[in-house]
Amino acid sequence: MRDKQVDIAIIGSGAGGGTVAKALSPLCRDGVSVAVLESGPRLKEEEYTGRELEMAERLYFDGGGVLTRDRSVTLAFGHAYGGSTVVYTGTSLPLRESTLRKWNVRGLDFDDLQRRSRKYFAENHVHLLPDECINDNNRLFAGACRTLGYRVEQFPVNVDGCRGSGLCNLGCPNGAKMGTHRVQLPQAERNGVTVVTNCAVDRIDPAARTVRATVRREAIGHPPAWEPGEYRVRARAVIVAAGAVNSPAILLRSGLAGDLKALGRYFTCHPALILVGQHDHPITNFSGHPKSYYSDHFAESEGFLLETCMYFPFVTAKSLAGFGDEPRALMSAMDRLQMILVLALDAALPGNRVTVNGRGEPVVDYRLSEPVRASLVKAMRASARIFFASGARRVHAPAGRTFFVEAGDSDRLDDLIPLEGFKAGKVSVSSAHLMGGCRMGDGPAASVTDAWGGVHGVPWLFVADASLFPGSAEINPYITIMALADRVAERVRGRLPELPQ
Amino acid sequence: MYTMFLLSVGERIAPGLHDLDAAGRRRVAAIVERAVAARPPRVRRQLSAFLHLLRWLPAARYGRPFDRLRGAQQDAVLRWFHDSPLAPFRHGFWGVKTLIFMGYYGRPEAAAEIGYRPARAGAPPFHAR
Ligand SMILES: Cc1cc2nc3c(=O)[nH]c(=O)nc-3n(C[C@H](O)[C@H](O)[C@H](O)COP(=O)(O)OP(=O)(O)OC[C@H]3O[C@@H](n4cnc5c(N)ncnc54)[C@H](O)[C@@H]3O)c2cc1C
Repeated sequence: MRDKQVDIAIIGSGAGGGTVAKALSPLCRDGVSVAVLESGPRLKEEEYTGRELEMAERLYFDGGGVLTRDRSVTLAFGHAYGGSTVVYTGTSLPLRESTLRKWNVRGLDFDDLQRRSRKYFAENHVHLLPDECINDNNRLFAGACRTLGYRVEQFPVNVDGCRGSGLCNLGCPNGAKMGTHRVQLPQAERNGVTVVTNCAVDRIDPAARTVRATVRREAIGHPPAWEPGEYRVRARAVIVAAGAVNSPAILLRSGLAGDLKALGRYFTCHPALILVGQHDHPITNFSGHPKSYYSDHFAESEGFLLETCMYFPFVTAKSLAGFGDEPRALMSAMDRLQMILVLALDAALPGNRVTVNGRGEPVVDYRLSEPVRASLVKAMRASARIFFASGARRVHAPAGRTFFVEAGDSDRLDDLIPLEGFKAGKVSVSSAHLMGGCRMGDGPAASVTDAWGGVHGVPWLFVADASLFPGSAEINPYITIMALADRVAERVRGRLPELPQ
Repeated sequence: MYTMFLLSVGERIAPGLHDLDAAGRRRVAAIVERAVAARPPRVRRQLSAFLHLLRWLPAARYGRPFDRLRGAQQDAVLRWFHDSPLAPFRHGFWGVKTLIFMGYYGRPEAAAEIGYRPARAGAPPFHAR
């Protein structure tokens, strides 16, 4: 066991950890030492191959196939220098005021969040793509929504020099996506922060104020900043930003559950479906930015969002309900597929939670509630309408009575896609927006941290990632995570002088 | 250990598997085996128990294990698992189907076969073409 001493230890380098590292990095000039401990690798440019399985294995926890305990939902989250921002699509929206009101966190006000969100919009080069960069898959969605009278908006995205290779979710091979691996972490390192990759944190020892971590040698990526081995890192302040599954797991392994009843609870994840419609002729879909439009038309009334998307062969096949000749026929027409991602706006419930098993590994209990299932079925019908209004010949709705719904039957969607057709396991549900588990709030009875990410009762311990969300973001979350992490950095900066060596 | 049986089930799930040559099937098998090996022991045990069930449960109805049924009978068995009233059976089938799709559609050469040809270097603007 080797010993290290730093002033600030940050666990995780994703949207939260990367932001907090950069925001605190000016302190390095005054002699403050900051280390980011990141369990994932830091890939070399040539290791972004765009090959689906290879990149999934390199950049996602369990290759993107982490399952909830009852196996109803697949959770996708990143494992790399930059965390999930390496694989996210880069759509950038601020939290809505109505959502913040529902969160009801005293001390977290909308103007403050807006101001900080705007800062990261600028830092990450967020803008609307010009019209000539929008492919048919996106264009058809927007046009059909307008025809049907559904509200539709263009997504601001955070790309710089996007070449439209359409591989965002496998890590951009052209370095165009402005995740923390491109913007905040390199800046933090220039200012003097040490980022230790391949460094998995097991637990925090609250009595000694140390972090236990293991650095591994890996076959891919740059070598880690520290020699492989086991470490005990003593720090004045510890900031946990390992994501909504791993941050609660680290705190649970650290024995903090006793005082914090809400730890691990109120996990939300925007349960999602990938839906496909098939056209008679090829459309541009796999080239170009995959996600340029969204519709929140049904957000308030039916609890779901619709977004454009385009996935890779295996992920697409996996999302189909069925087997044999019909999926084969659909899959053999990848260049004619239009795709929509449906996100259900799930409620934060105490029973949906992260725990750790006997070996200390995180386990996620998540129940697809009745309202969520109903939302997802209604979203299948709305998506089918959009596909047909776009000119699709047939549509696959996973809860449908038959594998395909043909255009000629588009007036019978309610009957052909029944509520009872939704069966967990048969319908493939996934999630890439993991939230909650260390929720902000007023006190330890119902929350884990205060409105500034400070863990109740532990003045040197902070959380700075999506696990802070008291409820679902109801919109793509990364900008909000960055804005919250920015607040945490401010609080740490203010409190550091009081914290002992 | 169950790869041969898994691939025979796979021919009903992803019928294109049947048309692959020996090298193609070996690539599918290698992807599946690698994915299974990366799973925790508990998940591997569950998979092997489910495959055992899938092989032998049909004997109760047809008097023969799954691999000795005709194609249409195999499809009927798989459809029952896929849409079963029992959630663990549906989830078990989903796991098997996912592995097969991973092996079949995860082969790099599958992409071009199905019309999926992204260019790492990117695409020119759509309207400038
Ligand atoms: C495919 C995909 C597409 C997405 N697209 C969008 C989008 O377009 N717009 C949007 O707003 N959001 C998107 N998201 C969601 C967004 O990326 C996440 O919400 C956000 O990155 C979460 O930030 P975080 O800091 O909580 O966690 P992460 O970014 O996941 O970072 C957590 C980091 O902690 C590390 N870690 C975990 N455990 C340990 C440990 N024990 N020790 C050390 N390090 C550890 C992980 O390796 C990881 O690097 C997408 C997500 C995915 C997966």
